[in-house]
Amino acid sequence: MVENQYSIEFDDVVQQFRRITERPDTLREVFAKVRRHRINYQDFEAVKHVSFRISKGEVVGLIGRNGSGKSTILKIVAGVYTPTSGSVRVHGSIAPLIELGAGFHHELTGRENILLNGLLLGLTKRQVGEREAQMIAFAELGDFIDSPIKQYSSGMYMRLAFSVAIEVDPDILIIDEILGVGDAGFQQKCFDRIQRFRDAGKTIILVSHAMDNMRKFCSRLLLIHNGAILEDGPADHVIDRYEALIRQRAPLSARK
Amino acid sequence: MGALFRDTYRYRELIWALALKELRVRYKRSVLGFLWALLNPALLMLVLTLVFGTIMRFSAPHYSIFLLSVLLPWTFFSQSLAYSVESIVGNGELLKKVRVARLVFPIAAVVSNIINFLLSMIPLALLILVTRFPFHWTWLYLPIPMMGLFLFTLGAAFFFAAVNVYYRDVSHIIQVLLSAWFYFSPVIYSVDFMPAKYQWLFHLNPMLYVLNGFRLGIYYGQLPSLQSTAMCLLCGVLSVVIGFTVFRRYENSFVYYV
Repeated sequence: MVENQYSIEFDDVVQQFRRITERPDTLREVFAKVRRHRINYQDFEAVKHVSFRISKGEVVGLIGRNGSGKSTILKIVAGVYTPTSGSVRVHGSIAPLIELGAGFHHELTGRENILLNGLLLGLTKRQVGEREAQMIAFAELGDFIDSPIKQYSSGMYMRLAFSVAIEVDPDILIIDEILGVGDAGFQQKCFDRIQRFRDAGKTIILVSHAMDNMRKFCSRLLLIHNGAILEDGPADHVIDRYEALIRQRAPLSARK
Repeated sequence: MGALFRDTYRYRELIWALALKELRVRYKRSVLGFLWALLNPALLMLVLTLVFGTIMRFSAPHYSIFLLSVLLPWTFFSQSLAYSVESIVGNGELLKKVRVARLVFPIAAVVSNIINFLLSMIPLALLILVTRFPFHWTWLYLPIPMMGLFLFTLGAAFFFAAVNVYYRDVSHIIQVLLSAWFYFSPVIYSVDFMPAKYQWLFHLNPMLYVLNGFRLGIYYGQLPSLQSTAMCLLCGVLSVVIGFTVFRRYENSFVYYV
């Protein structure tokens, strides 16, 4: 093979976490535990032997119930987690839009935060400088750009964060449940921007519970359940399967 | 070890931006802003000069300069540690969301304090001028002990930042550790103040070598011995090697514990 056609390759990936089951609250308990050598944590697998390949230019959505492992998979792709076993190959640069504005500092101005966040996402200072005007324009912040962001409304905050992340212009964009940014007008703008991103032949991987969005954007969906892939295929088909899964489980949790 | 140089160079812009952020946040919303970096040590000097010049008389003439020549580097060391011990835990939310080279945080904490430290040397120089204390040519030699001091601090910063991820007790213990270390280091007194019987014990303290050059250069106008200089640099390099190795060994699992 001359050039790699995939942008993300997961091979038998396992992510194990250590869940603390019983936390010793007092010093006395701690000593009691230590003396008895009792281990108060439990290993569990949040991602169980998952394999998939995403080609360059694909827009893939992950759906599944809360706690199914979607976000964990995104974090492995983003390189935040190092999987316990298996191999992960990612070809190209990545910008994660996982909880926007993670690197923002509320005492700094919008402009100062643009620089800091741009650098955190892997741009050089020069690149940030070149794109700054675009970011500010996209975020529609006007004069507020030189005020500390603690004075921003939550909408302004999210708009700025989204603008910085999208202007990083990576090969692979990761979007975790952040499509509810700003008012309807700004949301439309975000959609258009993501659309353009897709048209440029870049890879997008997103997580959302809004099935309409998923249908609109994704050519392919993965249904994640209990840390494994239950279904992989065209959007309509996978969404049907997902809804069946919810119906099947809903009465159970309703009864409690 | 190569990774340390490579990544520091690669992320130099980010490190610098983070260091400036730290300073900016520290002095934000104060009327005098960055001037506090100069005023703080200046006011401290005023107090010390008053106290030791008039009230308590020490045998050493110009005791305030005797003290400050070592107190300023020490303050840099202890403040750097206080900042860097929290540098990974404090940025935990960020680490959970974005892949960032983790070493930038302790380095940035140390760099921001280096800036502060260098600024604090200005009021010391002014004090020397005002009190007509001689300006020794040995000031020129100070970059060498500074190198040892910065390296030693960086290594300790790596070490404590990493350990604090697993045992938060460290951030509490370090305060006690630092104040004990302060009194066992020749900061407020000189080395020969210690009884000869315990001199050997004192020479186990790496800060002795790290700080030695500052007092000799600024106060006594002398150069440290070759042996002391070598020890100063050796302590610095060893500290970085140990600290960075520990940090590197565990940095991939920080994200699960922050």
